Amino acid sequence: TLTLTSLIILTLPIITTLLQNNKTNCFLYITKTAVTYAFAISLIPTLLFIQSNQEAYISNWHWMTIHTLKLSMSFKLDFFSLTFMPIALFITWSIMEFSLWYMHSDPHINRFFKYLLLFLITMLILVSANNLLQLFMGWEGVGIMSFLLISWWHGRTDANTAALQAMLYNRIGDMGFIMMMAWFTIHLNSWEFQQIFLTNPKNTTLPLLGLLLASAGKSAQFGLHPWLPSAMEGPTPVSALLHSSTMVMAGVFTLIRFYPLMENNLTIQTSTLCLGAITTLFTAICALTQNDIKKIIALSTSSQLGLMMVTIGINQPHLAFIHMCTHAFFKAMLFLSSGSIIHNLNNEQDIRKMGGLYKTMPITSTAIIIGSLALTGMPFLTGFYSKDPIIETANMSYINTWALLITLIAVSMTASYSTRIIFFALLGQPRYPSLTQINENNPYLVNPIKRLILGSIFMGFLISMNTIPHTTPQMTMPPHLKFMALAVTLLGFTVATELNNMTHNLMFKQPSRMHTFSTMLGYYPTTIHRILPYLSLTMSQNLATTIMDSIWLEKMIPKNLTTMQKTAASLVSNQKGLMKLYSLSFLLSITLGLLIAL
Amino acid sequence: MNPLALSLILTTLLAGTLITMMSSHWLTAWMGLEMNMLTMIPILMKTTNPRSTEAATKYFMTQAMASMMLMMALTINLMYSGQWSITKMTNPVASNMALMALMTKLGSAPFHFWVPEVTQGVELTPGMILLTWQKLAPLSLLYQMATYTNTNLIYLSGLLSILIGGWGGLNQTQLRKILAYSSISHMGWMLIILPFNPTLTLLNLTIYIMLTLSIFMILTNTFTTSMSSLTLMWNKTPAMTIMLMTTLLSLGGLPPLSGFMPKWLMIHELTKNNSIIMPLTMAIMALLNMYFYMRLIYYSSLTILPSTNNMKMTWRFTNTKHTMTLPTLITLSNMLLPLTPMISMLE
Repeated sequence: TLTLTSLIILTLPIITTLLQNNKTNCFLYITKTAVTYAFAISLIPTLLFIQSNQEAYISNWHWMTIHTLKLSMSFKLDFFSLTFMPIALFITWSIMEFSLWYMHSDPHINRFFKYLLLFLITMLILVSANNLLQLFMGWEGVGIMSFLLISWWHGRTDANTAALQAMLYNRIGDMGFIMMMAWFTIHLNSWEFQQIFLTNPKNTTLPLLGLLLASAGKSAQFGLHPWLPSAMEGPTPVSALLHSSTMVMAGVFTLIRFYPLMENNLTIQTSTLCLGAITTLFTAICALTQNDIKKIIALSTSSQLGLMMVTIGINQPHLAFIHMCTHAFFKAMLFLSSGSIIHNLNNEQDIRKMGGLYKTMPITSTAIIIGSLALTGMPFLTGFYSKDPIIETANMSYINTWALLITLIAVSMTASYSTRIIFFALLGQPRYPSLTQINENNPYLVNPIKRLILGSIFMGFLISMNTIPHTTPQMTMPPHLKFMALAVTLLGFTVATELNNMTHNLMFKQPSRMHTFSTMLGYYPTTIHRILPYLSLTMSQNLATTIMDSIWLEKMIPKNLTTMQKTAASLVSNQKGLMKLYSLSFLLSITLGLLIAL
Repeated sequence: MNPLALSLILTTLLAGTLITMMSSHWLTAWMGLEMNMLTMIPILMKTTNPRSTEAATKYFMTQAMASMMLMMALTINLMYSGQWSITKMTNPVASNMALMALMTKLGSAPFHFWVPEVTQGVELTPGMILLTWQKLAPLSLLYQMATYTNTNLIYLSGLLSILIGGWGGLNQTQLRKILAYSSISHMGWMLIILPFNPTLTLLNLTIYIMLTLSIFMILTNTFTTSMSSLTLMWNKTPAMTIMLMTTLLSLGGLPPLSGFMPKWLMIHELTKNNSIIMPLTMAIMALLNMYFYMRLIYYSSLTILPSTNNMKMTWRFTNTKHTMTLPTLITLSNMLLPLTPMISMLE
């Protein structure tokens, strides 16, 4: 029964794609309802799993056998995939409904829905894969769909470059992934997870490094992060689906999948920890001074991903997974609300030109406030059930103190930039033009947001109550450590509120160096994007023209040969004609010759 | 020259070389070499201009130095072994000193400085005798005594000769000097193969003598001594121009011609004895020789350079020189390659 239901889930959206009746208006509704039913059906295996704690592996179609490597289509239905699939389907359902309102005036809306559906299918393939080949298929699939969706408005050059940037950074990560696959083929002769975890190899640093690189590329960790803020060029539903809940989770998800291997390898844990800590702090700093609302939320996503990496780094993959699931809800909701604001203010994305929406858009502002509170870990909302255990465990574990401190600073910054959004977008006097068309009455807009609000409030409790902890959580700790997360968040809130209130009263000086650093995203894109291609192109030009053509082909042999011969000829035939010199040479040669001969 | 004197001189020349070649006692060999040298001087001074005198003087002094060195080697040999036989010079000092003296007489590097100057200073015919006949006597002595010498010296001198012969000839426009450097280079080839297979030395000598004689006789017949006169040869005797071309190619060692035969056999012999780099270097350096022969061919046969109209009528004059042995020599120097199996006759 389990097998059948899960397969049906996957095939429902696929059938919709295959029908391909793009021309009709009903295609949109068919798609949406297909996803709704898929969500409903996917709850059945999940509930069965919660009740019985049985995991299942379905391996049905033998694809091919290359030498000794057997490749087949197999699905792994364990805690991670069975919990994530309903959540992904729920969020996709909400987003599709939202995009019925958001993309209403777009002529190619059918194609948009098809792309969203394809994305969903590849994401589900990735999540439910039992062998690395299938996972890689899903991995590449989400990469390609993200490329197509970011460049949706392809007439705009910024959108095209952003899509290309996303693709390139993902590709760098893919190199790591392929290295991992190659290592597993060579050493373990299998791409199945069961075999990998059973044999438990000893020297796993190299493949796990590859995996880390792949996750860094997919989940926008520091070093491969610029594509995520740039990806906000795509429509808001795209940002909501891909870049808040699902695709950027793919990297962290794969890392979580490999936790049996990572438990044994301390090097990888430390590097994951440090990478995550750097990411979360850096992106939080950058988010503090951005002016585009979508960029703030995108950098906030990046920061939360860094936090998930930190959690994996302290060897708590299940906590990271729970945080991933809860984060999907409120981040998607934040994106949808920002989409609603943007559309209602006639495509205005700069928060310096919003304000006073508290009264005019009540549902949206409620959503933003609840989402921000959940994000920062307000007690007993969703984020609390995932974020607080992370901070507590980090405080109590044998960990790199610097990473811990950075993570705490980043948590306080989370509160700060959330306050910034609320302050500038919702509070105060309106700063947008007076002729407004603010209208929240469309059910397609309101219903998804309402559903996600409910999810943001209750899902944390539900998920954490229904999961069996794999490691014993620390129950007793000194009070100052227990309150650390809350205190840090409150500190962030108050500092941000004070600073933002100051903007009403005082006139500011020129932006300081730190401010520019933060606004320019840490100068990372400006430096790296030009330098690396420039270096490789000039090197190859030098190699091709100077070294190859002019030196090796022209100068090295032909010209050198002629000069050598001319010099030698003039040297040899230049005789003075004086007999005494000949006699002298005779004497010297005879002496040398006798010396050689004896 | 007075015919009586000329006949006396020529017979003495002949006798000197023959005495050296036929002797088994060092003293008579040395005596033959001295006779050769002394009688060569009036031949070199056939024309009485100062240039020839200077050439003859230089020749005398160099050869005298070499003969002195040879005598000293002989006395050292006598002191240590008490016998005068040519093939048993076991003392290394004596044998190497004698080797170097003989190399000076032949004109191989590093004792080569006299060859271009002496050859240039005299007429074509004495030059011819200098470069061909005078090689016979020292080489016959070398053939007999080379087994006890230090082979490193022989290789060194040979390689150096080939190099100097190649590079020196590149910078020349006078034909006699070109042929002098060519002689140095060929001496190098002959020296190198001496420890391995002395028969090939003699073969090389034979073919070299044939080729050089042909070239010198062609040049004598057309009165050309420099490259600028070469360019006018096409009008005087077109047939000889073509023959000059093929003979020069043969001198450079081009395959279907007979000059290829000694080079081929020598490289074969060297590789049979497991030395690869040396024949490779020798063959590559022989290309330098080939370059300036090609230059001569280019100027004489392949192109017609501008000249005055007077020069275009020289074919009307009849040739006063004797061309008696020239056809035979030319045929031999071009077509001898198919007869290679016959060298077993020389064994």
